[in-house]
Amino acid sequence: MKLKVASKILDANERIARDNRKIFSDAGVYVINLMSSPGAGKTSLLETTITALKNSLKVGVIEGDVAGTDDAIRIDRLGVPVVQINTGGACHLDANMIYEVLGDLPLSGLDILFIENVGNLVCPAEFKVGEDIKVMILSIAEGHDKPLKYPLMFQESAALIINKMDLKPYLEVDVEKIKRDALSLNPSIRIFELSCKSGEGVEQWTAWLQTLTS
Amino acid sequence: MHEVSIADSLLKIAVDECKKNGCRIILNVKVCIGKASGVMPEALLFAFDALKAETIAEGATLTIEEVPVAGHCSACNADFTAPESYVLCCPQCGSSAYTLHEGRELDIKELEVE
Ligand SMILES: Nc1nc2c(ncn2[C@@H]2O[C@H](COP(=O)(O)OP(=O)(O)OP(=O)(O)O)[C@@H](O)[C@H]2O)c(=O)[nH]1
Ligand SMILES: [Mg+2]
Ligand SMILES: [Zn+2]
Ligand SMILES: [Zn+2]
Repeated sequence: MKLKVASKILDANERIARDNRKIFSDAGVYVINLMSSPGAGKTSLLETTITALKNSLKVGVIEGDVAGTDDAIRIDRLGVPVVQINTGGACHLDANMIYEVLGDLPLSGLDILFIENVGNLVCPAEFKVGEDIKVMILSIAEGHDKPLKYPLMFQESAALIINKMDLKPYLEVDVEKIKRDALSLNPSIRIFELSCKSGEGVEQWTAWLQTLTS
Repeated sequence: MHEVSIADSLLKIAVDECKKNGCRIILNVKVCIGKASGVMPEALLFAFDALKAETIAEGATLTIEEVPVAGHCSACNADFTAPESYVLCCPQCGSSAYTLHEGRELDIKELEVE
C-alpha cells in the first residue's frame, strides 16, 4: 500500500525553532545566529562586540561547540551571561539544543542574544534555531572562492562580516570578488569589512547592531 | 555533512506514519532533495541504510528524486532552472532581480508499507 506523506524532513526542527522564536520575542530579545568555518573569528567578534557595546546593550551568548568550554570561558571573562552547548559530534546546532538551555539564561533582561554556531560553512545554514537573523563571518585567509563553493550560507545570511582585514597585506586575496559574489548570491546581504585584532571597521558593525535592537 | 541526522529524522517520520496507518513494515521511502539543500544523495543513502537496521524499515529502499534550482526573473519575466546548486544572476538577462522557488526541498513524499 502507498501512503502519501508530504511533510518536510526537518519539520520537527522547524516546529521547535518556531517555539523558540516565540519565547525570544515574548522576552524582547533580538537573536543572532552567528556562523562561520572553524577559526574565522566568531568568538573574537563576540569579544570585540561585547566590549564595544557593554555600556549600551545587554548581551547574552550561547556557545555551540562539538566539545570543550574554551569559548564560553572567553565570554564569561567579560561578565556577560553565557551557556555552553556541546553537540557531542554534531556539526551544527539544532532548535532542540537551544530550547534545552533557554532556562539557563536571563532572557527578559537581555537586548541581544548571540548564538555562536559550530564552526562549519555548510550545514548550520540549514537548521533554524529560532533566530531573528543569521550573520556569517568569512576571514580573508580562507580565500576568495568561498561564496561560490558554499553558496547556501551566503544566501541565508542577512550580513557578511569579512574578518582579519589586518592580514590583507600578507595574503593574495581578492576581497572585491568576495563582495561581488556574495552580493550576486544574495543582493540584500549587508557586508562589513573589519579586523577583530586592530579594531578597524568594528564601529560600522556595532552601529548596525544598535539599529537592529532599537 | 549531517546526512546522518537527516536520515534519522526521515526514519522517525516514516516509522510514525507507518504505525499511524496501522501498518507493520516499510518497503520504500520516497523523498525529494533539492540540489541547493546541501544534502548529498549518496551520503543520505548510506546513512539511511546504516540507520534502518532493527527498525520496521529494515528492508526498505530509499528513492531520491533530485530537484534542480528553479526561479523567476522579474526583470525579463523568465522562468528558469539552473544547472548548478546556486544562481548568480538571471541566466536569460543577467539581472539580479530574481527569486528562487525550488531547489531547497528536503521533503518526504510517499511511503510504501504493508
Ligand atoms: N590577525 C587576525 N587574527 C584574528 C582576527 N580575528 C580572530 N583572529 C584569530 O583567529 C583565531 C580564531 O579565532 P576565534 O575567534 O577563536 O575563531 P572561532 O570562529 O570562534 O573558532 P571556532 O569557535 O573554533 O570555530 C584566533 O587565534 C584569533 O586570535 C583578526 O581580525 N585578525
Ligand atoms: Mg569560537
Ligand atoms: Zn550539520
Ligand atoms: Zn531575467
